Formats: sequence, C-alpha cells, structure tokens
Amino acid sequence: MSLDRIFSNIAGYMEQYLVLPVLFHFHWMAWGDLAFDWCLICVYGLFAVLLTYAVCVPLEYWYPVERWPDRKAVLVDVFYTLLNRVGVVPVITFVLFYHVQTWTTGFLVERGFIPPTLESLIPFLLGRPLLTFLIYALILDFAEYWRHRLSHSFRWWYALHALHHAQRQMSFWSDDRNHLIDDIISFLWFFVIGLIINIPPVQFPLLVLGLKFIESLSHANIRLSFGPLEWLIVSPRFHRFHHGLRAAGRNSCNYASVFPVWDVLFRTADFQDKYLPTGDARAPEALVTGSYVTQQVTGLKLFWQALGKSWASLGIGRAA
Amino acid sequence: MLTRRTALSLPISLVAPPAWGAGIPLAFVLNSAEGSVSIINVLTRQVIRAAPTYREPSHWALTQDRSRLLICDAGGNALFFFDPVTGAPLGHRRMADPYQLGFTPDNRYLVVNALRLNFVDIYDARSLVLVKRLSTGRWPSHLDFSPDSRWSFHSMQNSNTLVSLDLTTLTKRWSILVGDTPAGVLWLNGKVLVCLMGERGFVEVDPLSGAITRQVVTGDGAHNIFIDTRRNVLYVSNRGPGQTGLTALDPKTFEILRTYPIPGGPDDISIDPDGQIWICLRFAESVAVLNPDTGAYSTIPVGRSPHGIFLNTLLRQKGLITAERI
Repeated sequence: MSLDRIFSNIAGYMEQYLVLPVLFHFHWMAWGDLAFDWCLICVYGLFAVLLTYAVCVPLEYWYPVERWPDRKAVLVDVFYTLLNRVGVVPVITFVLFYHVQTWTTGFLVERGFIPPTLESLIPFLLGRPLLTFLIYALILDFAEYWRHRLSHSFRWWYALHALHHAQRQMSFWSDDRNHLIDDIISFLWFFVIGLIINIPPVQFPLLVLGLKFIESLSHANIRLSFGPLEWLIVSPRFHRFHHGLRAAGRNSCNYASVFPVWDVLFRTADFQDKYLPTGDARAPEALVTGSYVTQQVTGLKLFWQALGKSWASLGIGRAA
Repeated sequence: MLTRRTALSLPISLVAPPAWGAGIPLAFVLNSAEGSVSIINVLTRQVIRAAPTYREPSHWALTQDRSRLLICDAGGNALFFFDPVTGAPLGHRRMADPYQLGFTPDNRYLVVNALRLNFVDIYDARSLVLVKRLSTGRWPSHLDFSPDSRWSFHSMQNSNTLVSLDLTTLTKRWSILVGDTPAGVLWLNGKVLVCLMGERGFVEVDPLSGAITRQVVTGDGAHNIFIDTRRNVLYVSNRGPGQTGLTALDPKTFEILRTYPIPGGPDDISIDPDGQIWICLRFAESVAVLNPDTGAYSTIPVGRSPHGIFLNTLLRQKGLITAERI
C-alpha cells in the first residue's frame, strides 16, 4: 500500500469516527465532504512532524553544530510546530481560504470572468502533476523569498520576525516559531498569491509534506551542507547562515525557504562553508527563553514600539 | 465546443497512449481530491489509466446521442469530455463551478448546479451557451427532472431546502424546507425523493405542491439515492456517522429489503451487467464491488476521494441514462 493511500485511510478513519459524529450532532453535515480535506491536512501535518523528527533527531545527535547542556529553550518551539502543523491553525487557514476563494470566484463569475487555473493557462501541464507542482512550488517560494526579505527590511516587521531569529538553540523545531501577527501577515500574503494562481488546496499533499520537511531540516542543528547541490535546495548550512548572529536584522542574506535560486538571482546568497552561532544579540531575553505567551506579548510590545518609531520618522503624530 | 485552449490540448490527448479499444467494459471513477478519473476495466477490475482533470471531478452526465461523457470539475471551473466507449479524453471547456449536472429528458437544456457559488446555470444542451442563471439557495447539490422536462428539482445542501424550477419559463416554482442537509434527489413514480445527510433517511415530496408526503428511515447520513432499473430496487447510500453502507428498498412500498454495512463513506453507485454494485468509498480511496445476493464485496484501489462513477455498460440500456438510474 502506498504512503499516500495509508495517509488517506487514516484521514478516512478520522473523518468517519471522530469528525462525522461531531458534524452530525451539531447539524453541520453540509461540511462532511470538506471535513475530509481537513482530516487530510491534519494527518499530513502530523506525518510531516514525525518524518522530520525521525530524520533530524539522530542527525542532530550524531552531527550537531552545537551541543547544549539542556534543551529547555527548544520546548516552546515544539509547541509552535504542533500548533501550526497539526492543530487548528492549518484547518482554520484552509476554511478561511476556501471561503475567500469561493467569494472571489463568485464575484468574478458574476462579472462574466471565469477564473482560470495554471493548468488551463498552460495546457501542457494537464496530466503532468509533478511539473505542475514544481511550478506552483516555485511561484510560492518566490513569493516567500520576498515576504521574508521585506520582513527584514521594515523596522516594525522585523520587530515581529525577531522572535523567529531570537532562538539561540536553533533546531528543526524552530521553523514555525513566529509571532502570531507575523503569521497573519504571512497568511494574508499567501492568501493573495493563492487566489491569483488558483492554488489547489489538497491536490499534492505528499509533495507539500516534502517541502515542509525541507524547511524544517534547514533549521536543524546539523553540520550538513549539500556540497555542489547547495544552490538547488536550501541546506541546514545555507539557512543557518541566515540565522547567524551577525546576519540578524536588516542586513541579512540567504532568505530563500526551499530554492536558493532566488538568493542567487537577487544577489543575497552567501555560500560560505561556515556554521555560525545563531540568535539575535539585540533581542530581549524574554523573546529567547520566555514561554509562548511571554514571547508573544514581548513581540507585540516590540512591534508597537517599532511602529511608533516608524511613524515618528515619517512625521506622523509629531506636534506641528 | 472546441475552444482555443481545448484545441491546444488536443495534440497531448492524441499522443497519449490509447488506454483500450472499443468494446471493453469500462468504469469511470471521479477522484474528487486528486484531479483525476480512474478508468477501470470492468472485467479484470484493474485500473487501466488515470485520466487527468484540473482539480475536483465530482459528477457526470451523458449526452443523449451517447457520444460524450461530461465530467464536472468544480474546483477547476471546467467541464471535461470523454469518449464513453473508449475512455479517450475529448478536451474540456471553461465553466463556472460545475458540481452536478444533468440533461433535461427532452434534451433541450443542460442544467448545472454550482455548489460553491449558490446558483443553477441552465445551458443550451447542444451549444452549451448559458441561457439563464438562477440564484437558488446555499450550496445547490444534487438534481433531477420530471420526465416531461417541465420541472427540475435541486437540493440546497446548506439551506435545508428543495428548490423546483419551471424549465418552460426558467423561473423558480417553489422552495421548501425538507430537512437537515439535503443531498441526493430522484424523481420516482411521480414523486421526488430527497436524501437528508443530517438525518437518518429520505423524504418523499409532492412535485406539484412541494409538500412532504412521507419520511423513510434508512440510516445515518443518507447521502444519495439510485434506482436499479433492471432489478427494480431502490438504493440509498448512508454516509454515517453510525453504521455506513447501502440500504436496498422496495421502490413502491419503501420497505427495507436489506442493508449492506460498508465502511469508508459510500457515495455514488453503479451496477454492472452481472448485477454487481460498484460503490465509491469517499474516505477509503477505493471502489467496493458488492454482490447484492451474498453481501460480500471486494475493493479496487482508485484515487483520493472517489465521488461519481459511470459504467459504460449502461450504454447497452435503452432509454434515458442518468447517474441516478443505473
């Protein structure tokens, strides 16, 4: 039995024995079909975490860049990961995207325009799922490169993103360590991109799982580079350079999530074979070792202060 | 209709290897969460090929000259065409959110439910030019027609209503509350039967007045309803959450003849010439082939979330072929 089929069957059991009874009880059976997609998202999210765990734990044990006396600071990152990949966040994201996509399609159809898909614009792609997925992945990764790069360019935005960079014990759990507002901005960013390219929500779950794995691996505390293939896929070494102490803040490098080609094209790539200590020297300790709530509150304060400074620099709110 | 884009895609269809020759009995299984149609040799029960669609193939209709099988792709905003005999793809055209569709018995209109967009589109059956768009309620799901083609009946999955359209004036006749989450619709013996996914069976509706004349219990989450025209048996697929499977009923008395427990989210069904019932299992990536006499079944692995199913052995039958009359 293929991996894909095993995951679908697990999602099927989840739908049948966990979700449908709830939907039936609350008279929400209209959502029964879509609920299967929610189950798929949860199951694939869970397996992405398990796969990353199974691969990265031994590698971090055998080939670590740093050895830490304890891993307390990592625990909060585990919470971020479970919340973002398995919990309610992906399902809420899916439901919101579904509604906005439906509304947008309806709005356009009422005006006589039927939104195309990428495959309908490029007929060659029909029946070539791998190639189609690669193009979708490239478009989304390109968008992510610029979102990420801009988050380092604006004072107020980096105040949020600093939470991600503050971690001194960077591990494969750190990928989802983000401020909630930063997540919302990211969500809206991809919302718009997803609407424009009419992204298929659950058509390529196994491939999405693969991309998520690469993103988690790139944060792992592993002495690993991809040698001559460094320019092809983001490696732990490549991304660690982005998280280096000296690279935190506005003058960073290696912004790409999956494909370093964007850094090469826009001259922000640094392929030096070095494994730098990670963190942000200017980040308050609460952002580094605080609990989830402490980190969120601290991030919010920093964001508010930075926003004030940005406004002041623009002359907004200044006395005449 | 051949558009520029379908013309561009034709060379790809032509260079694709032929899946089979004419004469092989085929099952077309529409995989909703995978953007593909699994084409199965009914005799060997092997998947011969997965034909691509854009996003979300759900339901089908057959042109009345039986030359083209139309497959809805709501997520891809497209209607795909296949040769029902050989399974060869015959191109596709842009269409707004086609989820469920059917030709009127007089072959005047193609009526399409746009589930996400909350309207029913009425196209000219031959040219596929849009004639009328009617807002009907939230989530138009399944549909059927009166045999004289005067009326259509549409379940509104998220409004709990059944809506009837007058196809002579292209206007709404009535809208009635039928129960929780209506889905499958079937005209049978002068009445309209409507499955209720949020309840435990189906209701019988008087097509003239819109009054509910009867309620029948079959099982939790009654989803779709079909009539086996050869054996004269009515089938209801029950999605759960309790015991899932098929319920066989007498189409006149609605007496339950037998229940077939089948897990995996049974959805649309079809029947092969041997009388075996082919059932799409939405949550199990497979089609069950059930022997109605013994209750035993085997499964055929297909794509993710198999939804609608068409067996081209139906082409041997005389009269109107629809997804609900098998």
